[in-house]
Amino acid sequence: MAENSDASEEVLLDCRKICKSYNGPMVLSDVDFSMKRGEIHALVGENGAGKSTLIKIITGVTGRNSGTMVFEGKEIGHDHSRTGAQGLGIAVIYQELSLIHGMTVAQNMFLTKEPRMPVLGIINIRRMNSLAQAMIDRYGFNLKATDVIDGLSIGQRQTVEILKALNGKASLMIMDEPTSSLTSAESAQLFGIIRQLKADGISVLYISHRMEEVFDLSDRVTVLRDGRLVEVLEKERIHPNEIIRLMIGRCLDEKDSKCVMERKGGEVVLDVHGLSSEGKFSDISLQLHAGEVLGIGGLVGSGRTELVRAIYGIDAHDSGSISFQGKPWTPGVSQSIRGGFGFVPEERRLQGIMGGISITGNIGITNLDSIAGKGFVSDRKELALSRKAVGLLNIKPAEPSLPVGNLSGGNQQKVVVGKWLIRDLRLLIVDEPTVGIDIGAKEEMYQTIARLASEGVSVILVSSDLPELTRLSDRILVLRKGRIVKEFAEGAVTEEDVLRASSGILEGGAA
Amino acid sequence: MNLTAAKARQLLKDLRLFFVLILLMAVLSVLSPRFLTLGNLSNVLWSVCIIGIMCSGFIYAPITGGIDLSVGSMAALAGIIANVLMNQVGIPWVPALVITLACGMFIGFINGIVTTKFGVPAFIVTMAAKTYLFGIAMLVSNGDMITIMKPKGFLAIGVGKLFGLPIPIYIMVAVIVASHILLKHTVFGRKAIAVGANEVAAKLSGVDPDRTRIMAYVLSATAATVAGIVMASLTQQAYAANAGGYELDVITAVVVGGTSLMGGSGSVAGALIGAVMVGFINNGLNLLNMPSSFHPLVTGVVILLALLLNQGGKMPKFILSMRKRLGDPGK
Repeated sequence: MAENSDASEEVLLDCRKICKSYNGPMVLSDVDFSMKRGEIHALVGENGAGKSTLIKIITGVTGRNSGTMVFEGKEIGHDHSRTGAQGLGIAVIYQELSLIHGMTVAQNMFLTKEPRMPVLGIINIRRMNSLAQAMIDRYGFNLKATDVIDGLSIGQRQTVEILKALNGKASLMIMDEPTSSLTSAESAQLFGIIRQLKADGISVLYISHRMEEVFDLSDRVTVLRDGRLVEVLEKERIHPNEIIRLMIGRCLDEKDSKCVMERKGGEVVLDVHGLSSEGKFSDISLQLHAGEVLGIGGLVGSGRTELVRAIYGIDAHDSGSISFQGKPWTPGVSQSIRGGFGFVPEERRLQGIMGGISITGNIGITNLDSIAGKGFVSDRKELALSRKAVGLLNIKPAEPSLPVGNLSGGNQQKVVVGKWLIRDLRLLIVDEPTVGIDIGAKEEMYQTIARLASEGVSVILVSSDLPELTRLSDRILVLRKGRIVKEFAEGAVTEEDVLRASSGILEGGAA
Repeated sequence: MNLTAAKARQLLKDLRLFFVLILLMAVLSVLSPRFLTLGNLSNVLWSVCIIGIMCSGFIYAPITGGIDLSVGSMAALAGIIANVLMNQVGIPWVPALVITLACGMFIGFINGIVTTKFGVPAFIVTMAAKTYLFGIAMLVSNGDMITIMKPKGFLAIGVGKLFGLPIPIYIMVAVIVASHILLKHTVFGRKAIAVGANEVAAKLSGVDPDRTRIMAYVLSATAATVAGIVMASLTQQAYAANAGGYELDVITAVVVGGTSLMGGSGSVAGALIGAVMVGFINNGLNLLNMPSSFHPLVTGVVILLALLLNQGGKMPKFILSMRKRLGDPGK
């Protein structure tokens, strides 16, 4: 359990028995979390462990149901808000950067806090620039106060974010997956900055899936699992294998985690050879057999989504070739759909559903070829088709005229999958198919995928949900930094194995 | 709730706009005895025809998530082009009108290309088009109000009658019905709604959003061209400033008719009722001897109210409760 009775070091933030639920299941239960002044503290856990919720509570984005929070010795009430958190000195370095384009570094750093001229109240630009430059120089960053944001690299922009937080007198900086879009050189630079911050007495709360970073940087690691605190590891106990063991936490004799991979011998449906796309993935070769579920594992940002988008034909690739059912294949969305592909994208609400439109409309749009002749749509055929999908996947409520936006997350996802299932499907690509849906719908989704495979449909499953990946897949490819680093094709595979490969910890393998 | 009750409620919802229209007519006939006379109603009809024809094509711009502010200028330019072709170049009126329509389509195509392939917001693109089309109209016509005295065939479009009804009514009914069928019963209609509802989802489902949008602007400009031809024939005039504020009337009609400016939903029948209402409101202001400088204020307020009642998003509570009482519109 979290013990912070160590009186020799000052406690900056102390959260006790934090509970949170968003109308329904508990997302956080009785979580204790503390940070010392000037420490680098990593927060780790699988997807859905409650990391982001805890961050949101600390930064005042969302409220807690119960529990206490003390920051710099002062109790934080239930009226904690985002602006309140900023006022206290809690800053978040956002993944999707929050800088204003078209403005200079100094303008962003001093936004709403610009130094003014006396009496007139006009912004004193020279003073602002010199103050900003002084701060940049103190940290030795390779930036000018007058640089415009648009011309900076992602890494430099992140530095500006950090400068902005420093200028806001932040004493706690929260970084959520800060290296996900950085090059390795930029990452190394960021780690230098983080250590500098620590030396200045600023605490950094670091969230990452990349074990080697956590391992290198952190003074302490807090592990969450299923909304509960598992353990707080002190420096000497921090080891990647140990962290992964704690994150997954299931016993290996549990039936779900003991998954046996098996090569399917059927006809090769899809043959990808040396596929590359600059900055996204490189030299990907894979073969997919009829009735096979091919799992693609890897961290967010490892190129998984980009790879399946290229195969489906949304984005073009630079080099390499694809053949489908034995013939050379030029990807393209319409072509793919005609060929019997189906695609379930990762962001259901943004990419999957048309929320304002009925179930029938959502299902009809991918099936215009079968419900329309000479440009005219048959309403009768369209309705019959959508009823079929509703029945096939048990979509509730079973009323095809309802706007999809009014359905629950699980039923929305069933619509997105359902519109493909009524086609003559040969290959279904699903990207994070069960994010944000309830257990029941999840189970139904698994059964649907298994049934499709048994009917001879090939499935590519991209998932960060390790139990899901190991349970459903016949074979798993692990991507890391755009390359296939590991294939699990035979024998038992545990979630731990996949996570190790994803994080770049390979025994005897080349990364 | 049993099925028939649900159906009855749906029907009431669908007819809601119609009731509002009747109410508006009742109010106007009480306020002005001249309102319900044949002479007055046929006056209203002319403006309804022009707005209705424009709406039939314009509606695809908001349905696909865009807007077309150039329809008024397009209509005015169409009258001028037609006149030049017929009376200066000397082409017979049928081919002259075909060429005019082709010009309209081409301008719509340009609007569509700039919006989709260059990623400029439709609002800006079509506002620019509104201005440059007006500019072309001014140049070609020297800013004069041209009176069109011939050819007879062309003038018959506006003033001729068939089975006792003016020809523009037939034209309007034809394009409205065609537009309704296009929206509700064709592949293009489905694609237009899908693109407006969620472009990414539509793309992943095999729809080409750019092609769909370009088509929407072509339809919009073509309908505006037809309206411009009818207007020129009806008034026997071609004048650059003739169609100045029509885009506002068209937007009002479409929004009042329940089409979402956010894209993804629309009703051609609703737009027609909207066009009739806009006609009545403008007519009522005339009958009540309101100065014409008063009209834009009323039109503006009507657009605002219709938007508040029809559009989603953040709303004050009282409007949400009002919407609930009226039933959710725009489906």
